[in-house]
Amino acid sequence: MTPDTAPRSQVSLWEIFALFCKVGLTGFGGGMAIVALTERMVVKEKQWVTPEEFLHGLAFGQILGPFSLNTCTFVGYRLRGVPGGLLAAVGFLLPSFLIVSLLAWLYLRFQHLQLLKKALAATNPVVIGLICAVVLDMGKKQLNGTGGWLLGITAFAAAALFKVNLALVLAAAAAWAFAAALYQRRAS
Amino acid sequence: MLPLAWTYLKIGLIFFGGGYVLIPLLQHLLVDQYRWLTLREFLDGVAISQLTPGPLAMLATFTGVRVGGFVGGLIATICIFLPCIVLMLVVGRYYARLKEIDLIRNALDNVLPAVVGLVASAAWSLGATLGTLREWLLLTAAFAVFRWTKVNPMIMILGAGAVGMLLP
Repeated sequence: MTPDTAPRSQVSLWEIFALFCKVGLTGFGGGMAIVALTERMVVKEKQWVTPEEFLHGLAFGQILGPFSLNTCTFVGYRLRGVPGGLLAAVGFLLPSFLIVSLLAWLYLRFQHLQLLKKALAATNPVVIGLICAVVLDMGKKQLNGTGGWLLGITAFAAAALFKVNLALVLAAAAAWAFAAALYQRRAS
Repeated sequence: MLPLAWTYLKIGLIFFGGGYVLIPLLQHLLVDQYRWLTLREFLDGVAISQLTPGPLAMLATFTGVRVGGFVGGLIATICIFLPCIVLMLVVGRYYARLKEIDLIRNALDNVLPAVVGLVASAAWSLGATLGTLREWLLLTAAFAVFRWTKVNPMIMILGAGAVGMLLP
């Protein structure tokens, strides 16, 4: 394969870094909220990439890892090649990295304080409640038909009840999914 | 530091289906297998990583700091994100020619039910840490709020922390 249209070069690397830092600092709400914010900034305001290009980046961003980060990397790459992509990714992650490092340090230092213990103990059930809501939400969208339910329940049973190695469960599911996709393509 | 780097790199390579799949993966590896942190610390870490704009994967930073200080956090963060950043740089280069995209998308759709099952298994094993009636009530209330409103998780976690401080 040869690369298609060369990345544009009028945007400075510093501009890319600064913009994605801003996204990484103000994009509270995660996931889709970040993507919406990025879209407003790079497509509508700056017009660095076209709406179609942005949507392609978002689609590819679902393959591996968090799509918010992947969309930023993609836009950065389209603007200034590899350095642009790397700076967009680093800029987006840097604010959160610094905040989490600081909070983790504070947590480990003051973990024993009664007041902090009480605050964190109250957040634990909320986090589990959030995960339950995510399961229901994802389940409604993803568990279609007998095959989907079967795969979902098998994965749950393997992980929760039989303590199978999770990487193994995911790898097996991925192999099955790829085979099924190949089969679907043959059939159509 | 090398096992640390390798562990997070491995997770970064099998990290599909959005951020929530990281909860079962990290919990399994770091809590059950290596015992680098306790289940409670892990849950606290999830809450703390929700307080930033970054993806839920910032959980890697928290667990990395817990295991190896600031450098540990840096290594964990770089290693977990490296695979997807490299992949996106390659995709950015060849994206108009990636004709197999339908195949990739379909395969991805097919694997998502398993991801749902794994995230459910995380809720299952994390739920085992709860003991008191008050905790179960909090869980139910939080679930209902997340289910039927669009409240930001960060607000809920900060709110729960404040309530926890006030309650006896």
